[in-house]
Amino acid sequence: MMRWTYKLPLRFRSLFRKERVERELDEELQFHLERQIEENLAAGMAPEEGRYAALRALGGVEHAKEQCRDQRRVNFIEDFVQDLGYSLRKLRREPGVAMAVALTLSIGIGATTAVFSTINTALIRRIPFTEPDRLLIGLKTRNGTTGSGLVAGFDYLDYRRLGRSFDGLAALTPAGQQTVTGGTEPWVAEASRVTSNLFRVLQVNPVAGRHFLPEEEARGGARVVLISFALWQNRFAGSSTAVGSTVNLDGSPHTIVGVMPRGFRVFYDADLWMLIDWTRSRGATNRNYHNYYVVGRLKSGVSIQQAQHDVDVISRGLEQQYPASNKGKGLRLLDLQGYMVQDIRAGLLLPSAVTMCLLLVACANVAGLLLARGQRRMSEMAMRSALGASRGRLVRQLLTESVMLTLPAGLLGVGIAHVFQNLLLRLLPMDRLGINQPVVDGAVLLFALLVSMVTGLVVGVVPAIRGTAVGPSPRLGTGKQVFEGSRSARLRSGLVVMQVAISVVLLIESGLLVRSLALLSTVNLGFDPNNVLTARIQMQVPDHSKREQLPAFFTSALEEIEGLPGVESASLIDKLPLVDPGGDWEIRRADRPRQSDQDDYPAFARSVSPRYFKTMRIPLLKGRDVSKTDIVSTPRVMVISKTLARTLFADRDPVGQMVEVHLIDSPYVRYEVIGVVGDVRVNDLRGEGDPAMYLAAAQRGDNEMRVAIRTTGNPSRLVEPIRQRLRQKNRNVLVADLATMDSVLDDALSLFRVVIQYLGLFSGIALLLGAIGLYGALAYHVSQQEREMGVRLAMGATRANVLLLVLGRGLLLVGTGLLLGVVGARPGTTLIQQFLYKIQPLDPSTYVGAVLLVGVVATMACFFPAWRATRVNPVEVLRSE
Amino acid sequence: MSKPTDLVQGTLDLLILKTVALEPMHGWGVALRIRQVSKDVLQVNQGALYPALHRLEQQGWITAKWGESANNRRAKYYSVTPAGRRYLNQEQANWERLSAAINLVLETS
Repeated sequence: MMRWTYKLPLRFRSLFRKERVERELDEELQFHLERQIEENLAAGMAPEEGRYAALRALGGVEHAKEQCRDQRRVNFIEDFVQDLGYSLRKLRREPGVAMAVALTLSIGIGATTAVFSTINTALIRRIPFTEPDRLLIGLKTRNGTTGSGLVAGFDYLDYRRLGRSFDGLAALTPAGQQTVTGGTEPWVAEASRVTSNLFRVLQVNPVAGRHFLPEEEARGGARVVLISFALWQNRFAGSSTAVGSTVNLDGSPHTIVGVMPRGFRVFYDADLWMLIDWTRSRGATNRNYHNYYVVGRLKSGVSIQQAQHDVDVISRGLEQQYPASNKGKGLRLLDLQGYMVQDIRAGLLLPSAVTMCLLLVACANVAGLLLARGQRRMSEMAMRSALGASRGRLVRQLLTESVMLTLPAGLLGVGIAHVFQNLLLRLLPMDRLGINQPVVDGAVLLFALLVSMVTGLVVGVVPAIRGTAVGPSPRLGTGKQVFEGSRSARLRSGLVVMQVAISVVLLIESGLLVRSLALLSTVNLGFDPNNVLTARIQMQVPDHSKREQLPAFFTSALEEIEGLPGVESASLIDKLPLVDPGGDWEIRRADRPRQSDQDDYPAFARSVSPRYFKTMRIPLLKGRDVSKTDIVSTPRVMVISKTLARTLFADRDPVGQMVEVHLIDSPYVRYEVIGVVGDVRVNDLRGEGDPAMYLAAAQRGDNEMRVAIRTTGNPSRLVEPIRQRLRQKNRNVLVADLATMDSVLDDALSLFRVVIQYLGLFSGIALLLGAIGLYGALAYHVSQQEREMGVRLAMGATRANVLLLVLGRGLLLVGTGLLLGVVGARPGTTLIQQFLYKIQPLDPSTYVGAVLLVGVVATMACFFPAWRATRVNPVEVLRSE
Repeated sequence: MSKPTDLVQGTLDLLILKTVALEPMHGWGVALRIRQVSKDVLQVNQGALYPALHRLEQQGWITAKWGESANNRRAKYYSVTPAGRRYLNQEQANWERLSAAINLVLETS
């Protein structure tokens, strides 16, 4: 027979027929004792003596029984149930401890859970495409380094034609905002141009209609379009007739052939997908125009290294064939999943670190609390030990108790996680993944449970081991208070020091951020954002032949806006400062020979209408503003910023000088500098003196502009009149994003604010917990030393002496913690370096401020226990001995 | 009087198994038998005997049955299971190899 046929019934009996098993154990040992007594009597002992000798030989009946029970292998379950009941009773008697522990830990656990659920959503769950392991992204490299990684159209076509490793290689590029007309009112949609095979490569099927067909791409971009689920819902009410219907895109009719699933997204948001027209797109025909994202699906069984080798061969072929454009150019293949989450991975570093700090503080706090509680229960433990409980058994009971404390904390923590998560989400570019909301799912709940249990064990294990380190005899029967062992006291001091140190680190980091924000919000922008209303105006042009009408339209639109009451002046710019970044071109002096790139300087190019500088209150330092007479037929002119003027024309007056601008399609265009204006933060709030060139909008003919309107009163009152006026003027004009410049700038700082909120909140909590921990440790110390204080007072010590004694002890801990924190803060700043503005990572005033704040709070926490020590009544304490 | 030799950890299990392998026996009997057979050299620590018996029972090497003792008292009789007998043989072989090896070392040096 197998062993388990014996074992199983035994376990079963032990668990469910416990009384009978116990009776049998009793009977068995009784039998043994009787035999031993008989033998002792036969050896000539007195009856009493024989009985005691027999008991001694067995080593105590209860002890023997307990050891026999330990063999049953179900003790563990039984004890657990017993411990559970005991812990619950104990907690009911000490609701204060339970509450304190639950609250403290729930904050730590909540924060950790929030970070986990975000990590779970972003990094662990895969991107929402079939077989994501086979998906890759191809990034252009030049001499081994990757810039934006976008690939030139013709290069892409060669890789697609010659590549042997791919099931498909697709390209896509954002096509900006397209005005859709034909209905009652024009609307704007983000468009994307893609190759016909993109959706097959990603293996995403439309929810209605079909994909693009390869022959549609071959025909040079058939007039077909796929629309997003959101667009389908909002503009077509999810109607099935949407597929097959026609919309006007940029003036020409397109047929909707399909609807993509909800939330479908690759690299950037889009509502419309159109085909790339390789025959007409100017970027497509130029190997120097790198504009396309390339994604591919590996053939099954082909590794990414093999595919890389494959494309390297193609790249070398292209280098030889087109040395002018393809010298040193290559294509680097990366796992798509890894590429898409890399920003989030980096973004999670700070919250993870901060959260771990917080959890650490919370754990230290609770461990300190439990240590003190364990000290008070020393005699209880000694009693249990004397009654036959082994040390392991006691440790297990204490651990059960601490886990019972942390489990409700975990439950609370899940709720708190929800709050933290909203903060966290605003920190991370989660929408890039097409996943917008991490949810509390099974995995997250399991994680919270695990963290709570592990936390319970971690905070419980040291107090449990310290608290049971007593032999039974010396502590028993004295009835005296058990004094704290020095090792345990050191341990609790260490925990307090750690809490203080972590609070200091977190406060220093937040301080650096707050100081940066303060500096950033008082930065001299170079323009006056108050009382400025901005909007985006887009004019629908049926075809390119009517482009010449655009400047006239915008000019008359401006005149109408300026005619409105309350408007001081209005003007146009293609990209608002700070709001629309990018757009830097190369500029050089025309009077120098065109030999190398060394004379080319990057500067931000902006198209402006007359009076832009006046509207934005940007000082005109020299020369003149762009005027109404600067039109297509007159020589090209530009106004340059002070910094650019200094860079280009350090030796002469820039006004009247000629410059050349390097454009993508036509290499060099000559402009005359007509004026110099003050520096403005054009691209980035941090970029002091961004070099800028302002071109005459009328000479460029953009169809989409930003309008900036300086008003005399509250700008928001003008929103509706402006919208109506423009709508009346032309049915095909679109007005969007009406907002005051102030609020637009505010948005630019919002990420920064969120980081500060996150760090500030956490460091505040850590400080609070640290102060509570310090208070608890000292209060406990004082209660332990009451007798000593009493004796000191009786011997003539003044109350001030006693106060200083206790305070000194507390401040020693605080001082050590502060020192460690200051040392630890420096490495921590690397995580927030990217957010710092004009603040050195070792900014002395921040350090001093944080140390002072923690010092003051900590001293207050020390003061109350110290004051209580002076209230000890010596007579009472000494009499109680 | 010299102290009875303490039993090496693990050897108690071996001795109990061997003893109950001869015939079903109660705890007291096991202790008595070991003492007698070893000519009073091996004194089973009574405090350790019952936990050991229960452990072997829980591990399925021995099984227990209640029966009548010589003087008509109910007693718990342990007997070896087939698996226990195999285990005993294996452990006994191990022990013999070990003690032979120790003897070799002691005799040569």
